[in-house]
Amino acid sequence: MSTVFNQANIMFLLEGMKLTLTIALISIALSMFFGTILAILRNFSKGILGRFATIYIEIFRNTPLLLWILSIRFLVPIRPMYSGILSFTLFTSAIMAEIFRGGMNSVSKGQYEAAYSQGFSKFQTLRYIILPQSFRRCIPTFLSQAVTVIKDTSFLWAVGIEEFTGKGMILMGSFATSFQIFLLFGALAGMYFIINFTISCGVRTIKTEY
Amino acid sequence: MKLKKVFLALGLGMCIMMTGCGSAKQTGSSTASTGEAKEIQAIKDRGVLKVGVKVDVPKYGYKNPKTGQIEGFEIDLSKAIAKKILGDENKVEFQGVTAKTRGPLLDNGEIDMVAATFTITEERKKSYNFSDAYMKDGVGLLVKKSLGVSSLKDLNNKTIGVAQSATTKAALQDEAGKQGITLKFSELGGYPELKAALDSGRIDCFAVDASILNGYVDDSTVILDDRYNPQEYGIASKKDNTELAKVINGVISEMKSSGEIDKLITKWEIK
Amino acid sequence: MNGPFSIFKWEAVFKDFSIFLEGFLTTLEVSILGLILALILGVIFGVLSTGKIKVFKIISRIYVEVIQNTPLVIQVFFLFNGLPYLKIVLPVFLIGVLGVGVYHGAYISEVVRTGITSIAKGQFEAAKSQGFSHIQTMRYIILPQTVKIIIPPLANQLVNLIKNTSILSMIAGGDLMYTADSWSSANMYYGPAYVVTGILYFLLCYPLAIFSRKLELKEKNKVSINTEDSIQGQVIATEGGL
Repeated sequence: MSTVFNQANIMFLLEGMKLTLTIALISIALSMFFGTILAILRNFSKGILGRFATIYIEIFRNTPLLLWILSIRFLVPIRPMYSGILSFTLFTSAIMAEIFRGGMNSVSKGQYEAAYSQGFSKFQTLRYIILPQSFRRCIPTFLSQAVTVIKDTSFLWAVGIEEFTGKGMILMGSFATSFQIFLLFGALAGMYFIINFTISCGVRTIKTEY
Repeated sequence: MKLKKVFLALGLGMCIMMTGCGSAKQTGSSTASTGEAKEIQAIKDRGVLKVGVKVDVPKYGYKNPKTGQIEGFEIDLSKAIAKKILGDENKVEFQGVTAKTRGPLLDNGEIDMVAATFTITEERKKSYNFSDAYMKDGVGLLVKKSLGVSSLKDLNNKTIGVAQSATTKAALQDEAGKQGITLKFSELGGYPELKAALDSGRIDCFAVDASILNGYVDDSTVILDDRYNPQEYGIASKKDNTELAKVINGVISEMKSSGEIDKLITKWEIK
Repeated sequence: MNGPFSIFKWEAVFKDFSIFLEGFLTTLEVSILGLILALILGVIFGVLSTGKIKVFKIISRIYVEVIQNTPLVIQVFFLFNGLPYLKIVLPVFLIGVLGVGVYHGAYISEVVRTGITSIAKGQFEAAKSQGFSHIQTMRYIILPQTVKIIIPPLANQLVNLIKNTSILSMIAGGDLMYTADSWSSANMYYGPAYVVTGILYFLLCYPLAIFSRKLELKEKNKVSINTEDSIQGQVIATEGGL
């Protein structure tokens, strides 16, 4: 047990976790922002912007994340961490967009009509009436998606980025007994579990408020 | 109808990408023809030399878990080159690469050169510039002692694990053909995966340059005596960067003739 | 002449296209089998978690929470490199099917659970008052209605499943992603290889997404009783609870 969990190894793994969380959190924040924009464009823009949003969302929703991680790492000359953030942001924005659209669509039409009858312009209706409500409804699902992003950062190991899973795999190379291997797997899974389960519990608490 | 639009957009996107790289190609060739020192100048302006190195190969390029620093033979080589170009051997930024990522990262300009146990082959010379060889090695075979094999012939019909993009698979396939045996191959993404797969029994043999294997051998495994396909490591740089390649080669040749390389080999206890 | 998307690289891709197709076929096979496994697990655990027996509810909860909160990568690596220590060495194809099947089974069970619970309680009570047992209620009243509601999120999970089969590329699984990777790591022609791979995945997933949307519209027009007015349900219906 002490061979697996000595000081050096724990520091090694935590370095990876730091990278995992950095990439995940920045990507989540950026993709919530861009996703919202894309959703509004797709729903309310009839012209080229609307079509662009639709195409963007469809392309990223129907292709694997791993493909984008590889493509962006190999084709875009930026540092590993930024490469990860870029891949995740591009990909997750499409998903966030769809979540937000779901939220917007669930706001009843009556709200639009009431707002227009009060003299609100389309933009004002969106800004003051629809968006705040949509956003509140989406928060649980946004957080669920955050959990997915944190988990999916493990795919970055495919391009040699040393996030938590990567560090774990490198460490695993130095162990050869089944006990050590299982212990390490358990620790890796456990760490993700603790972080994600906490967020999921938070989601459940928020949901019950509705 | 929506589908049609999506395909149209995809096609448009592809065209844009191709024109994008077309124009990139043009700027690349103009740099080579007019600015000999332009690439070197760019590095000087940037103030740091970006090098791709291994982080998991003890003695060559290895991230010491205790210090968090990358150290090794190839790190020292890169520092010497940085000293030549920028005057300071510490003006170098190391990035961890794997056999899979070192080529593409060199291509897209994320790194200026690769010093990562990169074997020189005729095929690769078409895509990259290589310096003179600074190290000679051969493909080695790491197996579990319990397997009881002593040479490649004993591995007939067994599964050999190799790293993606490494020269190992081609080299061993050649050798297998010569010896009249068949080998199965499993390509994994990196050395840690291969070691883990060897330990768990997924693969019967972990094959890669012997110097890399030295970092992975332990009590339950042994490196067979066979060495295949003697290969030489060189420092790689982008095909268009002829000036940089000249400078790199200059440093390497100098170090070879002055005995610096031998000193480093002794320092890192490389056999 | 040597950009990542040079013409000669595209030519090479089309020359070796049959290799990509083989990978595509493997992806297809793993997806179909994985989906069947995921559906079976999803329905079983979904129904169990809404039942009366506490033990089953707990087991179901544990299954869902553990699988949903740990990465697929770790789960698959465990099957690949961990199980052999228990003398269980599964073929890579099976690992793919198990990996995505169990993983998405947890998500599908949540979709099923939400679908069941969104059906008005009145239905359960009405059925009980008519003498239906729990199983009969499920089989004749609840599940048929649930099926209609959960088609969109199910389709979403199917698309995610297909995309997640790309995990096989990390364990030499022979699927489309691995093939593209392996082929391009030998000759460095990764630009066109990845574009073609993306298009192939797109061709597989996009029709499914469209089909599910058509189905959803058809069902919306058919069902006169609106069982779907919970906000939660609507958001999940569009995004599928991920």
